[in-house]
Amino acid sequence: MILWTVLKILVMVGFLFNVGGLLTWVDRRLSSMIQDRVGPNRAGLKIGKFELRVAGLLHTAADGVKFFFKEDFMPPKADKLLFSLAPILAMVPVLALTAVIPFGDTISPHQLWRHVCAPVDGHVLQVLDGQCIDIATKAIISKPLLVFPSAARLGISTVQTPIELQVAPLNVAILYVFAMAGQGIVGAAIAGWSSDNKFSLMGALRAASQMVSYEVTMGLSLIGAMMLYGSVRLEDMVRWQGDNAWGIFVQPVAFFLFFTAAVAESKRIPFDLPEAESELVSGYFTEYSGMKFGMFYFAEYMEVVTSSMLLVTIFLGGWQLPFLHRDGITIQIGETIYAAQRLPHIWVILFGVLAFFGKVLVMCLLQAFVRWSLPRFRYDQLMKLGWTVLLPVSLANIFVTGVLYLACESAGEGMAHALKAAGDVTQAITAAVLTFLPLWALYGFFNTRAKDKTLIGTSGDMAAAAGGTKTTAMQG
Amino acid sequence: MNLGQAYFWICAALAVIGAVAAVAAKNPIRGAMGLLLMILSVAGLFLALHAQFLAAIQLIVYAGAIVVLFLFVIMLIGPAASTPPDKRGLPSRIVGAGIFALSGIGAMVLLVRSALAAAAAAPDAGTAPPLPPSDFGGIDTLGRVLFTHGLVPFELSSALLMVAIIGAVAVARGKQSDPTVAAKTAEPSKTRAKEIAS
Repeated sequence: MILWTVLKILVMVGFLFNVGGLLTWVDRRLSSMIQDRVGPNRAGLKIGKFELRVAGLLHTAADGVKFFFKEDFMPPKADKLLFSLAPILAMVPVLALTAVIPFGDTISPHQLWRHVCAPVDGHVLQVLDGQCIDIATKAIISKPLLVFPSAARLGISTVQTPIELQVAPLNVAILYVFAMAGQGIVGAAIAGWSSDNKFSLMGALRAASQMVSYEVTMGLSLIGAMMLYGSVRLEDMVRWQGDNAWGIFVQPVAFFLFFTAAVAESKRIPFDLPEAESELVSGYFTEYSGMKFGMFYFAEYMEVVTSSMLLVTIFLGGWQLPFLHRDGITIQIGETIYAAQRLPHIWVILFGVLAFFGKVLVMCLLQAFVRWSLPRFRYDQLMKLGWTVLLPVSLANIFVTGVLYLACESAGEGMAHALKAAGDVTQAITAAVLTFLPLWALYGFFNTRAKDKTLIGTSGDMAAAAGGTKTTAMQG
Repeated sequence: MNLGQAYFWICAALAVIGAVAAVAAKNPIRGAMGLLLMILSVAGLFLALHAQFLAAIQLIVYAGAIVVLFLFVIMLIGPAASTPPDKRGLPSRIVGAGIFALSGIGAMVLLVRSALAAAAAAPDAGTAPPLPPSDFGGIDTLGRVLFTHGLVPFELSSALLMVAIIGAVAVARGKQSDPTVAAKTAEPSKTRAKEIAS
């Protein structure tokens, strides 16, 4: 059991570190693409005549080496203890946050290669002659039809304990997320104070007030989602979304609010007032150098990854793919089943894990796009947006969700059928988008118009092949 | 000593260290960090008592909001926050500290004596008490109790908080009059000023 936990921690932290590192590269290359320039592609390994550049990917490694070997300067009047403590306080909560995020469906180890049943609350099910029966009562179990069904939890198997793909299945998961997100403020505040620098102090004050303000919106935006899902456990939320509709369809306003608040929490453009280069040098970590600066820098990218994970878990169905259930693929809209194919348990689990990490990568990319597409706010605009627009909207969202919930629930069985059909339609829409968007992107990738061709992802060799030379970029 | 006991002792020691640091630190920010350490370790103790909800709330409210508020205020005040050493009123301070220490020790003695008496009275004192159910202290159970048995006190305490917020707003705004009224009273003086000027 402890071995499994260690393995799960390795998967989560490994993903966080690797994607965080990769994001520093993506951020640079993507910004160069958006700003129509070549971007960093010089870092390379040279062994004899052979030169390895990998489209600037080695810049990340070069950064790491530089962070470790640079002088670790500390301002003479700085508070030595707090100055060293601050980067740790900024980084630890981000890592701790991933403990509650489920990255795959629960594995039942004893029936890994067999077909399993979709969970029905409180029953331990088994497949017998193609039908799902309860092990204890031998009765055929089917799902009850409710207006707002709760997320179906798996029954506890007596054969072998199931493995949850989640480091810590806490029963206060969402609250734990907010608790950890709140700790990040302390790191920034302490860093600014202990640096003994006016710019740092200003940056820290801005960071503290900004994060406190947007945390309120972040918390309130999720209350509507919690009402619908009927649980604060993240794995229950994901199960609910797989059974009904993805969170982005049932709580679109909350998705937008949470996304905005999450970008503000990670202190990136357009909300990067605490480290605004043109005003505050680089804000609360102005005085930091070497690996201490590296930790702040890296914590920001890891925060992008964790906020993407939260967004995916709460609003984009977590490990769920449309029509892929625990027992296999069932394409069903309303009462009509168009196609059904049972799949072995292990494939369903694998698809789920890949889907989760794939969605997280897409959300990370979206956040990078946001960073390079929007201008920075002014500080008073930021506060005004937080307190006078986002906060009232999130309160209104709670109210409207509550009223609609009550109305739907009192409408009876007809409403239950209609909502079920609507949920299935949203699954179909998702499936269509997930199929055609990548195809369209691939088509665009292979059919680039000649005048749109740029040197994205090129090394010097490709630049030379495209008409430039190895040392100067292609002109025109 | 098993793992649970080790966990308890680590958390308890950290809580005491944090509390002492919060009181004894000369630098106010270090004091606030001591408070943060204390709060975190008390949250850890709550977790060991199956009170996950309480632990999470402790982290959100105290560590995430109150300590941040302290840090914010200390940073706004700046260097004036650290007071110079003050020798006035030393005797009264010593007496006050003595009274607090004595009452604390007295409370400890009473607690230990009653615990010892209870241990002597119970024949199976060596065995551990039965474990609480797995959902004890979770959000479902606590919410159910809060909205059935504890509904009236819960609503009353939220009303109290509301009153406190309104009071804070009233105090912060002071005796400043209504801006619309102020504008009306300001107008005649402006016209009078114009008259004088003309």
